[in-house]
Amino acid sequence: MERVPITVTVNGQTVSAEVEPRMTLADFLRDELGLTGTKLGCEHGVCGSCTVLWDGAAVRSCLVLAAQADGAAITTIEGLATEGQLHPVQQAFWEAHALQCGFCTPGMILTAVALLSEDANPSEQAIREALSGNLCRCTGYQNIVRAVQLAAERLRSSS
Amino acid sequence: MSLQILPRGRWVGARVKRVEDPRFLTGEARYLADIQIPGTVHAAFVRSPYGHARIRRIDTSAARTVPGVLGVFTADDVAVLPPLASGLPIEGLKPTPQSVLAKEKVRFVGEAVAVVVAENRYVAEDAAELVEVDYEPLPAVTDAERAMAADAPLLHEDLGTNIVYQKTTTLGDIDAAFAQADRVFRRRFHTNRFVAAPMETRGCLSVYERASGQLTFYSSTQMPHMLRLFLALFLGIPEHKVRVISPEVGGAFGQKMTIYPEEVVIAYLGKVLGRPVKWVEDRRENLAAATHAKEQIIELEAAVRSDGKVLGLKARLIGDGGAYSFNTASALIEPLAAAGIIPGVYDIRAYQHEVIAVCTNKSPVGAFRAVGWTAAQTARELFFDEIARELGLDPAEFRRRNVITSDQFPYTTMTGMVYDSGSYRESLERALELVGYDELRRRQAELRQQGRYLGVGISLYVEPTAWGSEIALQAGFPFPSHDNATVTIDPTGKVRVAVSVHSHGQGHETTLAQVAAEILGVSIDDVVVEHGDTDRAPWGMGTYASRSAVIGGGMVALAAQEVREKLLRVASRLLEVAPEDLDIQDGTVFVKGAPDRSLSLFQVAFAAYLDGRVRAEGEEPLLSATKFYDPRATYSNGCLVTVCEVDSETGLVHLEKIVAVEDCGTMLNPMIVEGQVMGAIAQGIGGALYEAMIYDENGQLLTDTFLSYALPTATEVPELIIEHLETPSPVTIGGIKGIGEGGLLATPAAVAGAVLDAIWPAGRTIEQLPLTPERVLSALTAETGA
Ligand code: FES
Ligand code: FES
Repeated sequence: MERVPITVTVNGQTVSAEVEPRMTLADFLRDELGLTGTKLGCEHGVCGSCTVLWDGAAVRSCLVLAAQADGAAITTIEGLATEGQLHPVQQAFWEAHALQCGFCTPGMILTAVALLSEDANPSEQAIREALSGNLCRCTGYQNIVRAVQLAAERLRSSS
Repeated sequence: MSLQILPRGRWVGARVKRVEDPRFLTGEARYLADIQIPGTVHAAFVRSPYGHARIRRIDTSAARTVPGVLGVFTADDVAVLPPLASGLPIEGLKPTPQSVLAKEKVRFVGEAVAVVVAENRYVAEDAAELVEVDYEPLPAVTDAERAMAADAPLLHEDLGTNIVYQKTTTLGDIDAAFAQADRVFRRRFHTNRFVAAPMETRGCLSVYERASGQLTFYSSTQMPHMLRLFLALFLGIPEHKVRVISPEVGGAFGQKMTIYPEEVVIAYLGKVLGRPVKWVEDRRENLAAATHAKEQIIELEAAVRSDGKVLGLKARLIGDGGAYSFNTASALIEPLAAAGIIPGVYDIRAYQHEVIAVCTNKSPVGAFRAVGWTAAQTARELFFDEIARELGLDPAEFRRRNVITSDQFPYTTMTGMVYDSGSYRESLERALELVGYDELRRRQAELRQQGRYLGVGISLYVEPTAWGSEIALQAGFPFPSHDNATVTIDPTGKVRVAVSVHSHGQGHETTLAQVAAEILGVSIDDVVVEHGDTDRAPWGMGTYASRSAVIGGGMVALAAQEVREKLLRVASRLLEVAPEDLDIQDGTVFVKGAPDRSLSLFQVAFAAYLDGRVRAEGEEPLLSATKFYDPRATYSNGCLVTVCEVDSETGLVHLEKIVAVEDCGTMLNPMIVEGQVMGAIAQGIGGALYEAMIYDENGQLLTDTFLSYALPTATEVPELIIEHLETPSPVTIGGIKGIGEGGLLATPAAVAGAVLDAIWPAGRTIEQLPLTPERVLSALTAETGA
């Protein structure tokens, strides 16, 4: 199969690679770059576990091809903490006990980061709606919602 | 230090943040799919598209020629592997051995027929599509009652029947109860088949070293030691040369406590191919071929006095076991467990049950949180609501008249369960108070006047926990069940706790460290908990059935206590006082009443290992102890109340809130308890309103994606209000009871109860869950005659 050359910025680093045209972005991140923090829960676009940030917006990496990401800036869960310092959303997830098995957590956190970058003060209903594309089978969501509220509060008071 | 009540202190009972979380928050946690070993090849299974068919011929030649394919395997190629069968020693249970790859026949959509191994997953899947299987479709049966008919298609012809178990048991004077009754009520329920659907699917990776004959098997399993035992036996590899590692597990809820055919096949292929072989299930496979759960047909009959007292109950429970009476549990797992808990928290002195297990052309049934109990609770609570209303009693009042009261403990049920302690009536009253019950009833009547349908559902429950040998027996599954912990203080005074219970989201690395830290007087930061690797953890059964807080907490407490005593003996020689005069706090051993006479844990531990003078004759240098625990039976309890409004135009249910009052005895970490409760409630909402595995009459599965099988999302789960009552168990170490399952046990009844309450009297006509808008609407229109 003809390989496609791409150049992507992943977590701030520029990566050039040749990929099979049918390789998904998720498989590229996981298998080619070893960034296995991006999870695959359904591979058909429903569960949101594979969510990454694509130029700051939440995108399901199981639904897009690596080749399409040419020129994009991708942030995965591995790129969120800076210098060993958890991102406020990560910190809030920890404090609010917003994770159990942790499998949905990277996708949830990145979805929350994208939401808060657009709406610094979302209502509970807005948070629930923003998260409704991400499935979690462990927590019942309440603590995840609380975590996003907590992070929103802290981000507002620090900016 | 007495272990009867764990010391409540700095760690035990505190809302300690989970120590395991940073690796999950940053994406560093490695689940099965994330493990990358050089040279790994990838497997894809070829699965049956038919519910029931004879396999005439399998042609693998085209698949084999695809570049990158290492091999294609069918039943004939793995003939050395014995079939899987239920190992439960229950009289009258017919075994239904399952070939690890289907042989001669397929019995459900998704059954594995062949497996392709290739250099990567994409190629393996391409080649799997080229495997040609010539099937002769057979008539299928997907309804348990139809499967019992004499002319039903047979799944296992040699049995001559689809009924693998049938037994009636009479407890107490059931005839007298019915003779004395003022009223007799009957109701049939068909609880839905729904599934654990952990966000991480199943998967495994088999690494075999030919030179040493060592198999290292990574699997997303809840029971590493049990899997090691089975693999050693199935593959004929000596047990000491098998190591099972369960990495991070992305949810399990019972689905990963089975020994799966796929696991045996992959383990074997790793051995024959001499390359690491990895299989990661996709979601379709998980929905079709991982165990399903909870489907039963339950018929109840009650003998009731006109004042509401239930004198006797009869139950007929038909478990729809799917295609095989599955290996680790059997098709009895649902109906037998249900039969035991039908009386529940109620004082009922005559009971008769008939337990039936049937095979159908559907995926085999296995464990899923509150096995059997969800269906039993749902049927009984909805039935009791109906009886109450027919008698003109409020459902809460009806429960008051029948519930076991606290002066009756220990209470032995007709089915032989010994309820040790609890707060049954108290939890009911507290939940009603929290939800504002009387006010709700007023509001309900008002809204009805305006044509609006508000409903309140009550689910009062008891949850068997601490799954050791005794409770297993009381619940009808006579299989020993116990676990071990090793607690070690290393020379620098740091603590290692190795446990056989497994964590897949429960937070054991925190809760079990809390127990050790409390007893040893150290900070939780100085404790590490190891689990999931048979080479590092002592032998045990794993995690299921809400057993890990009780058993894990108990065994860690026992081992930590013994290590503490060893440590204090050493310190007593160093400080020249009696061990009884010493205490440990914050990592410092000191003389009680003279805290300046002290040594750090480091100093004491270092001396224990490296200074022979502190050791008495016959003492060992190692500050370590391994202890097992097989607890007495203990039972948690609680009450859920749900408030909802039903839209009479659309049939849609809007949940307003759910109040949960639960009592799991001594809590190690309330934050984690609440997490367990909330997660289980969300699953119960799914089971009550959305989730169902649907097969058509030909055995086709119609719900094999997350679009057709809908899980609740953040917008479907309402405000959850959790409150704790704390009645420590008198029979377990520390008074701990388990909590893992109550939410899923009780929620479908509370949610469905609220919906039926809202539309009463129309709700009488609904006997099948989930309560989809169509079902609700048709009940409403049937009633109004519209
Ligand atoms: S894995 Fe991409 S949405 Fe589920
Ligand atoms: S924490 Fe397990 S799926 Fe969300």
